Amino acid sequence: MTCTVSASGLSLSFGRTRALDEVSLRLTPGVTGLLGPNGAGKTTLLRVLATAVPPDRGAFTVLGHDPGSARGRQEVRRRLGYLPQTPGFHPGFTAFEFVDYVAVLKEMTGRAARHREVRRVLEEVGLGEVRGRKIKKLSGGMRQRVALAAALVGDPGFLVLDEPTVGLDPEQRMRFRELIAGAGETRTVLLSTHQTEDVAMLCHRVVVMAAGAVRFDGTPAELTARAAGRVWSSRTRDAGAKAGWRTGDGSFRNVGDPPEGAEPVEPTLEDGYLLVLDGAGVDAEVAA
Amino acid sequence: MTWHVDESDLRAYARGELAAPALWSADAHLTACAHCRGVLAGVSDPAALDAGWERLDAELDAPRPGWFEGLLVRCGVGDGTARLLAATPVLRRSWLGAVAAVLLTTFLVACSAAATGTPTLFLAVAPLLPLASVALAYGPALDPAYEMAVVSPTHGFRLLMIRTVAVLSVALGVGGLASLAMPGYGLRALAWLLPGLALTATGLALTPRLGPVVAPSVVAGAWGAVLLAADAARQSGDGLAPFTAAGQGVSGAVAVLGAGLLFLLRDRFDVSARGVA
Repeated sequence: MTCTVSASGLSLSFGRTRALDEVSLRLTPGVTGLLGPNGAGKTTLLRVLATAVPPDRGAFTVLGHDPGSARGRQEVRRRLGYLPQTPGFHPGFTAFEFVDYVAVLKEMTGRAARHREVRRVLEEVGLGEVRGRKIKKLSGGMRQRVALAAALVGDPGFLVLDEPTVGLDPEQRMRFRELIAGAGETRTVLLSTHQTEDVAMLCHRVVVMAAGAVRFDGTPAELTARAAGRVWSSRTRDAGAKAGWRTGDGSFRNVGDPPEGAEPVEPTLEDGYLLVLDGAGVDAEVAA
Repeated sequence: MTWHVDESDLRAYARGELAAPALWSADAHLTACAHCRGVLAGVSDPAALDAGWERLDAELDAPRPGWFEGLLVRCGVGDGTARLLAATPVLRRSWLGAVAAVLLTTFLVACSAAATGTPTLFLAVAPLLPLASVALAYGPALDPAYEMAVVSPTHGFRLLMIRTVAVLSVALGVGGLASLAMPGYGLRALAWLLPGLALTATGLALTPRLGPVVAPSVVAGAWGAVLLAADAARQSGDGLAPFTAAGQGVSGAVAVLGAGLLFLLRDRFDVSARGVA
């Protein structure tokens, strides 16, 4: 399959903090999930791939262009859509005006064509009816969709989404998942998230990061398979488990190395994720 | 109807190329002649017609720009550039801040000039206005959509220059008006201009290294130190060194050097400040 993003040995430090440590990965069309606990380096990796900050070491290409040079960086940005972790808005703008502002930044200078594109992306995210409403009067979910619409301006080939479902209620999250899935049908989408359900429902591939490094890179099924035979149910909390919690039926679900005679249960993506983090030295209880 | 519009004129009319007065005649005739309307429909390019309707639809559908943006467009600023300027609320606040500061400075000058007979206080404070205005018009802490702007194909330096020119135009214009309010001092009342440009250019040139808050603060502090040193060194009755002919020359040189350094560092404005999430 065509490789959209190819990164090799990306490293970046902020003072003494090593935010990225020799990260290498390849992204192909479809939605790739990026999982990891707080401080794992997810946002830093996304900002590097979005050309917001250059890495200290390593190199990467996006759609064949090297952002290491000014010209290559501009070519990458012409093909990039970016939804930052906390998208900022100009509160006095309407949804249309804000997306139009981003369209101007994306070099769309022709007024009629630009307005047509703004209407198209706002319709795509389901905000066509409220395009004239001030952003400060929109709900949190609608604001996220405005930011997504801004990211979709110009039909980018590479879409970078940093925790877009944080703070959304279940209905809004489901709506957003539909939009991301739709976006991933024709593009390469890198989706950073804390929600393993997002990955299970949307992604054809998942990358797990911890302490600035990639700890797992494979399919969701492969990540789930990491927990095969390592999840069991018990009537009381099992002290030997890496992580354990009481479920709705009163029994305990344990993840780790099962004791003799344990009753195994079907693993989930989250179980695999916890075990990968445990292998990386991250406290699975904390990560859970 | 005893006559009809010539078909070649109708074709030109459909293309929007028919000139007056034939255009006016065709306009008036078409409202009353079904035959000519039929011919016009036959010779019109459906694609061009659809494109025309689409343009009209887009124009009617686009929200009306706010007063500030509308004012910029009426002043001849391109609609895209006007949107870029209007997208920075702090830019407008900084303009208002600059205006208020200049008015306050003028007031202080009037008071100090009455007491000392020189515009020294005005000359010392006025160069800080463009520096502060430009500092407030740019930066990750001040632009809510900074991160989106940084990763856009529009070069960060171009965006910075658009905002800087707009802010400087107002700040220098208002400062100039304040100078005109002191005709008794002649050209001496404009001696703040070159130091102001020097401080602004130096502040911007230091921004990639020190950040958008520390850089103008350091420059403002250095300006204060220069004024104190000049005050300590001057002979009784002399003006402060930065406002003498030699001082103006130094300010001009610093402004040119700062602008040159800023140009050399232009690519540093194309990525986000380190640590800004």
